[in-house]
Amino acid sequence: MSEKITFTFNGEVVTCESGQSVAAALIAAVNRELRRTRFENEPRSMFCGIGICYDCVVVIDGVANQRSCLVEAKEGMKVVSAP
Amino acid sequence: MIIVIGAGPAGLAAAEAASRNGSDIALIDSAPRAGGQYWRNRGAVKGYRSERADRLFAKVSRAESITHISEATVWSIEKDGEIFRVNYLQGGAESSLTAERLIIATGAYDRSLPFPGWDQPGSMTPGAAQAVLKGHGVLVGKKIIVAGTGPFLLPVATGLADSGAEIVGLYEANNPMRWLLSLHALLLNPSKFAELAYYAKQLKKYRITPRFNRAVSSFSGGVATVSRLGSGFRFKQNKSETFSVDVVSVGWGFLPDVTLGGIVGCDQKVDTDGTTVFSVTTNQRSSVDNIWIAGEATGIGGADLSLIEGEIAGLSASGQKVSLANKWNRFRKEIFANALKRSYPIQDGWQSWPQGSTTICRCEEVRLSEIRESVSELGAEDSRTAKLFTRAGMGLCQGRVCSRNVSEIVAGLTGCTVSDSERIVSSNRPIASPISLGLLGDGKK
Repeated sequence: MSEKITFTFNGEVVTCESGQSVAAALIAAVNRELRRTRFENEPRSMFCGIGICYDCVVVIDGVANQRSCLVEAKEGMKVVSAP
Repeated sequence: MIIVIGAGPAGLAAAEAASRNGSDIALIDSAPRAGGQYWRNRGAVKGYRSERADRLFAKVSRAESITHISEATVWSIEKDGEIFRVNYLQGGAESSLTAERLIIATGAYDRSLPFPGWDQPGSMTPGAAQAVLKGHGVLVGKKIIVAGTGPFLLPVATGLADSGAEIVGLYEANNPMRWLLSLHALLLNPSKFAELAYYAKQLKKYRITPRFNRAVSSFSGGVATVSRLGSGFRFKQNKSETFSVDVVSVGWGFLPDVTLGGIVGCDQKVDTDGTTVFSVTTNQRSSVDNIWIAGEATGIGGADLSLIEGEIAGLSASGQKVSLANKWNRFRKEIFANALKRSYPIQDGWQSWPQGSTTICRCEEVRLSEIRESVSELGAEDSRTAKLFTRAGMGLCQGRVCSRNVSEIVAGLTGCTVSDSERIVSSNRPIASPISLGLLGDGKK
């Protein structure tokens, strides 16, 4: 669990431990806001933490609607907030 | 072959019990490691009686007839004659597995109630705070308020404190005197006194003083307002305090995940707490032949009840004898589960917490004012119509978070009660997890 890996979130480099979810890694890096909502442009973050609520969805390596609380962070991943 | 879906307390106990006579078992779970949402195995489980979890993990991994299929999300089940086909997604690919017998142990997730700011970053369920801590070793914030109702708040608050968080407040909405209605349940389960003593010691150790009849009434820009609750969960005027915090972790009990059993047609009913659960026999058999269901999906009761239900389901599904001691154990723990429902009820006054501008459906960003208008201006008389007008409950989460709340809000506005059939319909979804059309099209069927 101690191996360090890095990925990017909206272009910023984030370092975390291997095995951590993207959401956990971003919260540890004090990146609480994961995206803005479609209609009202409200900030959103992880809410349920177990893949139920879909509030933490991000685009990972081009694939949309990925639940960042479930997806394990991998070296070199490109994570961006949904456009 | 028996397929066990879910590797939490119930699923693990079921797999272990069924493996005692050498039955072939596939244990499917969406997480990388066994343990489920409550135990959250990250090499080791921390907390009250965690050695019980470690013993079960060891037995399951030692049993040669159990194959653990991890990181596999089951999205549907089909019945083909006498054979069940369980379809799952694993690593971006679709696969399936067939068996003559199924044990469903899909657990539950936190129930949330809307209040102003519950959709802000920093507001999350107790389950989320615990999952991120136990599963990923990350503390969700430095200064945290834990609130809502039910005994689950205790392991969450003390667990966060143990990892270095400052618990700014622990607020239980119900009054502990309610337990006086359920003394028989405590006497039948004397081990619960030891558990209570354990948490009392933990709370003292971390200088957390639980306060009762209170709830978080708003959260905005790092400031949480905590208000006194009056009768029926309505907030009392001018009885509020504000705190500066990173996180408010608020949970209102649990909702069983009934999707998969619903897909294969297992009979459901409405429990005393308003949740939709499966009807099962004392051997955990569902209404569908060769499907057993155990754990929270048959009624919220916690890990203790899930373990014994899982064991009974495993024994019954593998053709072993279910002893009288097993059944007595389940009976005792069921009495305790019923006492929990009596002691931590959710009262309708919560419907007065959200303001017109408060989000009710997080996915589709539907505010309370829009739901009100669908009833008062557009003439919606039931929640189904209100949902069609507003799109509440039609987003990515398929209404898992807001559906029950919307039903109860609409019933409150129209002066009705939510019928059992409506509760059951709104708890079920046609597929258990979104799947892309591409993957669906590539299916081997």
